[in-house]
Amino acid sequence: MTTATKDALQERVARIGEEAGAAKVACAYYDYETRESWDYRGDEWFHAASTIKVPILVGVFGTVHREGYTLDSRVHVRNRFISTADGEPFRVESGRDANSVVHQHLGKTMKVGELAYHMIVTSSNLATNLLVDLVGIEEIRAGLNELGVTGVDVHRGVEDERAWERGINNLVTARGLVSVLRPIEEGTAFSVELSAKMLEILHDQEFRSGIPAGVPDSAKVANKTGEISTVAHDAAIVYLAGRKPYAVVVLTQWERSVTGGRSDTIARVSRAVYEHLSARDRA
Amino acid sequence: MAELPLPVVDGLKLDPAMRALLRPGELLKERDGTLRRLPRYFYEVPSWEVALETRLAPNFQVWEFLNVDVREHERLRSDWPRYLPCAVSLLAAFLELLRREVGTYVHISANGGYRSPAHRLSTHASAHCWGTAANIYRVGDDWLDGERTVRRYTRVVEKLMTGVYVRPWGKGVGEADDHLHLDLGWTVVIPHGTTGEPERRGDDVTDPVPDEVRDVNDTADVGA
Repeated sequence: MTTATKDALQERVARIGEEAGAAKVACAYYDYETRESWDYRGDEWFHAASTIKVPILVGVFGTVHREGYTLDSRVHVRNRFISTADGEPFRVESGRDANSVVHQHLGKTMKVGELAYHMIVTSSNLATNLLVDLVGIEEIRAGLNELGVTGVDVHRGVEDERAWERGINNLVTARGLVSVLRPIEEGTAFSVELSAKMLEILHDQEFRSGIPAGVPDSAKVANKTGEISTVAHDAAIVYLAGRKPYAVVVLTQWERSVTGGRSDTIARVSRAVYEHLSARDRA
Repeated sequence: MAELPLPVVDGLKLDPAMRALLRPGELLKERDGTLRRLPRYFYEVPSWEVALETRLAPNFQVWEFLNVDVREHERLRSDWPRYLPCAVSLLAAFLELLRREVGTYVHISANGGYRSPAHRLSTHASAHCWGTAANIYRVGDDWLDGERTVRRYTRVVEKLMTGVYVRPWGKGVGEADDHLHLDLGWTVVIPHGTTGEPERRGDDVTDPVPDEVRDVNDTADVGA
């Protein structure tokens, strides 16, 4: 890729962010067709929001690989977690959680594989915290280290308000999340079977208004979104007919007062990357 | 004597690996260091099907007291037969009283019935290791995750039987804030017809009740 083309994409992504009123936008991709990486502000840190669930998924599957658990291992569904900030208990508010299925199992058990599915596909916060509680942050980090992931800083589960108030947050960079997606696509995330299983889960994603909205309907997209009051992100592997896939991550940061157009901004950046790669394919 | 719901086994006659997990007759420390002797006699549950079919009380089946998650030792959640301290019958009888008093279903949570000393939540002597404790997370349509509801059912439980212990509401150590923990203490049941104690400790080398106190997680020799 020429420097001029790279610059053009950087300028386009920056302009999309400015037009939308975003405080900050970052993007990175790895293209399996050309084996090229590209990024715009790819090493800048953002609050991870729910995109952290992909690294957590990898960490959980790493534990499965090390035979700590199986995907069929049963976990007590209990809505009580310990804050990283002060050791005091907190709960995931059912009204704020995107998924009610896991809440309906309170008091009973669910399988590790089922919780992993709900953590990603419907972004269940309760499922996420149950898995983090079971596996532990250190094990999740160990799994990510084993895969050589950088640019991902996992500290806790989700909805830990007191940790958030004290600035203890999960952080990611755009290039970091690409480095999480790549071993999943390449079948090297612990094993071919476990990688395929993670990919299968990501393909079932229900939130499709970010990166998937920026590519043709015929494309298949395995993705995970994340949004809180100040950020909106998406991390995806995009499969287009007639070429190899690409992994792409779009991170955006916003003033609290700017509440509209976030998904659309991610979709527009996704469109820019798609058009950029398509133009290169035609050249 | 009323018929027992399941065969009773002497824990000291189980295979060494199972004994290392259940620790029949061994001493276990409470949080404050007080020593308690674990139960020796267990109901033997041959299969999940039997656990589903067998009633310990009219409204409580064996499986409800065996429902554990991945934090229990693998052998005690994957293999059969499994074992329940005989005092679980008393607990079931009490829960049946409670069930009749409230006139609706009483739900025991996963990990809320019997937990072996090898269970990851058994960080100290807990009545769950005696089969005399139940964590109730739901009564009918009431979820026991709020102070008002837990206190209301605490009053019901305490009215039904003197001496029953209910953990106080709260978020601290020894308290509960998302279920109602009730237990009958360090009760041990030795059914009629079981083998007895030797006249003196050490007289019967095949039937020893060890007095040493081990750490609760000292099960490394058992294998995962």
